[in-house]
Parts: sequence; C-alpha cells; structure tokens
Amino acid sequence: MEEEHKEEQTEKSTEESKETTEKPTEETKVEEKKEPETPKEHKVEKHIEHKEKKRLSIKEIYDKQYKKLLIIPFLILLLAIFSIILKVSTTGDFINRDVSLKGGLTLTVPFDKEIDISALEIYLSSQFPANDVSVRALKQAGAYSGIVIDADIEKDSLEKLVSSVETSLKVTLGEEGYSVEVMGSALGASFFKETIRAVLIAFLFMGIVVFISFRVPITSLAVILAAFSDIIVTLAIANLIGMKLSTAGIAAFLMLIGYSVDTNILLSTKVVKRKEGTVLERIIGAMKTGLMMSSTTICAIIVALIFTQSEVIRQIMTILLIGLLVDMINTWIQNVGILRIYLGRKHKNAQD
Amino acid sequence: MHRIKKVFKNTRVIVLFIFILLAIVAIHPNPKAEGVAIRNVISNSSANLAGIKSTTPNIAPMSRERIIAVNNIPIKTVEDYYKGIGDLEPGRIVRITTNKDTYKLTVKEKTKTIELNETETKTVIEIVPVNKTINGSLVTVNETRSRIITVPKTKTILLGAEDIGLRVYKAPNTNIRKGLDLQGGTRVLLQPETKLDEPSLDMLLENMKERLNVYGLSDVVVRKAGDLSGNQYILVEMPGVNEEEVRELLAKQGKFEAKIKNETVFIGGRDITYVCKSADCSGIDPRAGCGRSGNAWYCRFRFSIALSQEAAQRQADATADLEILSEDNQQYLSEKIYLYLDDKQVDALNIGAELRGSATTDIQISGSGVGMTKQEAAINALQNMKRLQTILITGSLPVKIDIIKTDSISPILGEEFVRNALVVGLLAILIVVIVVFLRYRKLEIVTPMMVTCVSEVVILLGFAAIANWNLDLAAIAGIIIVVGTSVDHQIVITDETLRGESKKIFNWKERIKNAFSIILVAYLTTVVAMIPLLAAGAGLLKGFALTTIFGVSIGVFIARPAYAAVIEILLKQ
Repeated sequence: MEEEHKEEQTEKSTEESKETTEKPTEETKVEEKKEPETPKEHKVEKHIEHKEKKRLSIKEIYDKQYKKLLIIPFLILLLAIFSIILKVSTTGDFINRDVSLKGGLTLTVPFDKEIDISALEIYLSSQFPANDVSVRALKQAGAYSGIVIDADIEKDSLEKLVSSVETSLKVTLGEEGYSVEVMGSALGASFFKETIRAVLIAFLFMGIVVFISFRVPITSLAVILAAFSDIIVTLAIANLIGMKLSTAGIAAFLMLIGYSVDTNILLSTKVVKRKEGTVLERIIGAMKTGLMMSSTTICAIIVALIFTQSEVIRQIMTILLIGLLVDMINTWIQNVGILRIYLGRKHKNAQD
Repeated sequence: MHRIKKVFKNTRVIVLFIFILLAIVAIHPNPKAEGVAIRNVISNSSANLAGIKSTTPNIAPMSRERIIAVNNIPIKTVEDYYKGIGDLEPGRIVRITTNKDTYKLTVKEKTKTIELNETETKTVIEIVPVNKTINGSLVTVNETRSRIITVPKTKTILLGAEDIGLRVYKAPNTNIRKGLDLQGGTRVLLQPETKLDEPSLDMLLENMKERLNVYGLSDVVVRKAGDLSGNQYILVEMPGVNEEEVRELLAKQGKFEAKIKNETVFIGGRDITYVCKSADCSGIDPRAGCGRSGNAWYCRFRFSIALSQEAAQRQADATADLEILSEDNQQYLSEKIYLYLDDKQVDALNIGAELRGSATTDIQISGSGVGMTKQEAAINALQNMKRLQTILITGSLPVKIDIIKTDSISPILGEEFVRNALVVGLLAILIVVIVVFLRYRKLEIVTPMMVTCVSEVVILLGFAAIANWNLDLAAIAGIIIVVGTSVDHQIVITDETLRGESKKIFNWKERIKNAFSIILVAYLTTVVAMIPLLAAGAGLLKGFALTTIFGVSIGVFIARPAYAAVIEILLKQ
C-alpha cells in the first residue's frame, strides 16, 4: 500500500514540475530547485537525495518538499483506517464502549487513600464471576481521590456490589457516600447509535458551512478532509491507548469537529482569499497565529488533565488533546500541501 | 490615560458592560446568604399546616424561602438545622424564622393504631327505612333508631414526634442552578412501552407530577425528551433526594382504588366515567364551607364524579348493611371509603348516609384543607381537590413505563467537584495568560483579552440564570469550549491587527474585517456541529449544546467585537 502511494506521489510531482517550470513567481523558484530530483524512478536514488537534503533548514524543507511531506498525514490516516478496520473485524465494534454506551453500572466512590486497584478488581471479579468488572483510580494532581467501578451487572446486584466494595475497602459508604449510574443495555445501544448519528450530521453541517463560505471545491474539500482525518486518527489513537468511550467522549468528538477546523479555516482564508505577500509568507503568518491558538488550548487542556477529578472532563480533555495534536499535522502539512498544489495549478491555468 | 477614557466611551465596550451588568443582576450573587433553603414541604406535615409553602422547580434559587432560625437559634448550615429540630416533643411549638416570615409549628404526634383482641360496644344512631301503614296505604318512612354494636377495641400507640416535614439544603449564593452532577440527586430516565400521542404524553407527565406532589416532592423536574430516532423519553430529576421509593413510584403504572371495608368499589380511570371540574359541581362545599377549630381553619371541598354501572352496583352491595353515624349534624355511614394510590392510602372520605345500598352512578367526593387563615385553608382545600381529581381522572398511567437509566449522584462528590472545577478553571486561565504574555509581551493585549474571556463566562452564566438552565458537567464542558474559542478568536484579531500594523495597512476597518471573516466561519462550524445534539440522545447532552451555542454567540457578537475595538484604540499609533 505504501509503495503504491509513493509511486502515485512521484507521478504527481513529475506532472507538476513539467507544468510549472515557466512560472516567474515564487512557485517557480520552488519547482526549479526541485527539478533535478523530480524525475526519480527508483527508490535508491531517492534515498541519496534525502541525505543531500539534510543540509537544508526545516523551513526550506517545509517550503519545497510539501508534496513529499504530504505522505506523512496520508500515511497516518491510512494506518488509522487500517487499525479501525482491524478493530471492527476482531471485536465487531469500532470503539471501546463504556457502560454508558453499552449498558451496565458505574459506581463512583470518593476515597483518598492509596489502594491496590488490581487486588480490588480481582476480589470484585471473584464476587461477580459471570460479569465484566473493571476498577479505575481517580487521581487529582497525583493524589488519589476516588475509585470508579464499571460493571455490566444489573441494578438488582447494586447492593451486593456496594457491600463487596465496603468489605474490600473496610469502609462504610452509606446512602450518600457514592454515586451510581445505571444504564439499561437497550438504551446504551440506542444512545450509541444516536451519538454516532449526531457526529455524522454535525460533520455534514460543518461541510456545508465550509462549502458555502469558501465556494471553492478543492479548498472546502481540504478543510473537510482535515476534519475527517482528525476524527479518524484521534479515534484510532483513543482505541490504541485503551480508552473506553462514554457519551461525553463522543460529545468531545463533536467539539473536535467545531474546534479543530478553526485553524484550517484560518489557513484557507489567509492563503486562498488574501493576496498580499507570497504564498509561503501567508502560510507562515497563518501558522504563527494557528500555533499560538493551539498552544494556548493545549496548555489549558494539560492543566485541566492534571488537576481535574471528574472522569467526564478527563475524557473530553484527553480526546481534545489528541485531536489538537493530530490537527497540527493535518493543518500544517496536509492542508498546506493540498492548497499549494491547488494554487500551483490555478496559477498555471491562469497563465495559459 | 486619554486612551483608557476613549476605551470606555466606545459603543461596543459600553454594550459589553451593559450585558455584564444585566448578567450580574440575573445571577444575583450574595455571598452572605444565610441559613438553609427550603426545598420541599411534605403535604399535611406540621410545616405544611403552619403555612410554609412548597417550592416549584421554576423558582429562582435566590427567591427561595430560607430558614434563618429555629426557636430563635440561628441556623447557618444544614447540620445546624437538623440539630435544631432534633429533639422535639409532640405538642411543642417550634418557631421557624425564615427570611420572609415566622411560623409557629405544632409538632405532631407520630401514632399507630392497632386492633386489640378485645371488643367494645358502641352506640350508633341509624336511619332505617320501615314499611308502615298510614291511613290505610303502605309507605316507606325513615325511622331513626339507636342501636348498640360490637366493634374491635383499638389502641393508639405513641411513636414520638413526627417529622415536621421540611426538606432543606444549603442556601444558594447565586441564582445559578447547579445541575444534578454538581449538587447530588437522582436522575431517572423513563420510557413509555408504547408510543404515545402528544396529548397523552402531556397527560402522563401531569399525572407523574401530581404523584410526586402527593409525596411532597414538588421540586422535581419532569420533562419530555426525545431523540433522533423518534423515541420518547421522560426525564425526571430529583435534586437532593435519594429515595428508592420515589423512583419506583414513577414507573409504577399506578392503580387508584377506592375501598369500603377492604372491598374494592371502584378503580381510577376504569370505573370512573366522568369527573366534574366546573364550578357548578366542584369547589368549596357551599353547605359545609369553612370553619375554625382551635388555631386552624378547615375548608371542605366537594366534586361530583360519575361511576360506571358495575362500580355503582359494587358500591351498593358494599354499603347495603352499614350503620349510620351522626357527626356535626351530618349523617355518615359507619365505614369510610378509603382511597389508595398504588396501595398507599391517600385519603379517607365519609360516605353520606343517603348513599347506603343505592346503585347511584353520580356520587360526590369530599375532603378538606387546613390552613392558618380562612383563605389559606380554602386554597389548600382546592389544591387537594385538584390532586384528587387528577388521580381519579388519570387513574393508572396510560401505558407501562420502564426505568431505563438511573443516576444517583452523591452530594459529597458534587460539592468536591464544584471546588475542583473552580481551581482547574483558574489555573487554566493563568496558564493561558502566561502563554499569551510570553508571545505578545504587552499588557495592553493580555489584560483586555482576559477581561473579554471572563465577561463572556459571566454573561453566559447570567443567561443560564434567566433561562433556568441547570449548570451540570456537560455545561461546564461547554464553558470550556467557549473560553477556548474566545482565546483563539482574540489571537486571530490580535494577529490580524498587528500584521496590519507591520504591513502599513492604515485602514483599521479592513484589519478587523479580515479577522472577523475568519472568526465567523469558525463560529458557524462550531454552532452547526452542536445542533444535532439538541435533539439527540434523550436530551441528556442538550445542556452542553445549548451552553456552547449561546456562549460562542455571546462571544462572537458581543464580547469579541468589544475586544477588537479596545485593541484598536490601545495599539493605534
């Protein structure tokens, strides 16, 4: 798959360079320097070329190799799609659902001492041999603040679960000493369907807004593709780190749709709609603003991740953090690459 | 100095400040709010009889009645309150001082009546129809006779003082409602087994609310919810309570039964063909009216209902051989008719003597209300009447209802969470300030930026207070997005402005326009991404979507334009 992709890439760039050689603008400068390397047919030669390029600064690589750099986001996207397909074929589901999307019960107990989570889990599993019980610790700035127990048991067994926890922790919880969330399994499944549908509709709406505001198919598609890649790659990473998604987690994907495309919109507006400066200058300008936006958000998210004790907020923040990091690649490599190719062709057509 | 003056003269800045002021008025912060707020008043409890009124879920938190002293001892916390009413003796008077009034409650006795294995005799007066020959013709006349009957002896055992019937919580400091996640409570999601049309669903909701009122739980939110697949749900949120019983009550189909001598005479809904609600056959009983008894006033209500033929016959059979008792010049049968809701007795009514043994379909149901004043007694009587009418009309719920999701949130966790959320929020703002300052190194940029962020949150909270939204975890997530987009958009505005500076674009309008053309598209994508959540998933994420949509709208249309104006004034050379 990878090889195919590279071939396609080389083909494209060959075409490109032929088309753009006569251009007097900065695009020409770019292509001229590329000229000697573009007609590459063999991988071996390519490698040598890479070594020669090492002397170039990052900025120059970013400026001149945008087509090659495009491989990175597309490769990540393909890997993500592949891992999700693999997940579906092995587990029949494309995410790990927690009890709020599957049905079952979540018990949250405030508890500030350090405990052996796995011992508690083993004990509870022995009490409920037929069920799937998992225990997590809630931490706030490194200190224990509580325990969360997820179990696919029915509501009738709640008392037994609470008393098992009490015996194991040697505490009495009382009626107000814990929170419990019970989700019927039919509702869990229907919630899952609902939220997925909400994500799809949100995505469609976002696409329409982008189309209307840019009115240029390629620009709009690039933004939509970036949002799509953000979601897919974030989903794959969430799966890889074993995150169990709740309804709030899916809501975080909705946030991601609205939030991560902001930098893409900034980029596309500046590069396509504005005229001052060179394309690269405009890209760098957008990037200064965009990276500033992402870094304030990421800093705030990290603070929240360290200090929050709410499982819901933690999940939302984790997904946003992954999403924003992924979005940096998708905006500043993928979207930039596509826009430059598009502008190059447009310029060529205009000259003809 | 001149520039700062100019900032405060700018129209956009003035608009922003007006909104902030309005929001603060709506939030109504009062860190010194004393005492404990009344959440529920159990009906017929001594608190209820003394005239303390139950609240409704729609009342603004700061407008709730607060208890500030019990027996002149100041109450500061919920613990103080329970200590204050802890050791009460039956018959004692408790003075409860609230921010509105002072009430005198008579502590009720908690009693239980048991039947002993002995019997006693009782003299009863009864009216018996007798056939007599008067003037040669046979007529039926009613004759009053007194008769001695044997009844089982009963004994009343005193169980101590009855709860005075108030449910309280820590007095709120602002008008912002905390959702269940933050204050603790129970949330139940129910689903009717079959799909109902709109009027039936409304009826069902009304019925459930009435039932909760019967249990003294007026501060409960009952609302319809749906999802994208067209499923119907009913969402019930009970703050503070963790009563298993209530949860079960909601889902029970509910059977209303009227029993005489332990025999079912009629069942709500099925056997009742008509319940009169118009003034001519329902209301305060014109014959009995209102009266005084000791300190309290009593008012009697009555309304007529129509029974089905079969039910009328059952009633005739059940009352055929009852005695007639005389009380206050009114004649009643020796057995009362007992009304049960889901096997819990809700009322006991006297049966008029004239009904004995007759298969009438039209009967009159009566009851009473108590109050400190005549007017209050009348209001209570009418309220009780409405409740009974509702139960009789609706009877059982039209369909079986399943509990499909229950969350009970510990108030301890909720309180901790609020504190934690504030700390996290402040730290996040601090780190953003640092990052922004490191980049621009200008206080003229950092200060207005932070003021803008904070004012957006304040206006959003003011909105939430006016619109009766509950602020829950999901809403907090929404606020996080609002602040996040706010910082982002202000960075766009700042960069476009500074770039204009270096590129010598002298037209400020152009610079701001450039920034807002990016911001508007970004804003629209965020809003449309939230729209499906307004309808999806039984409305559980509706709060999140609403907070986000309103928050970013406030930001884009009120606060961020003001920021742009301030930046323009402060940075203009």
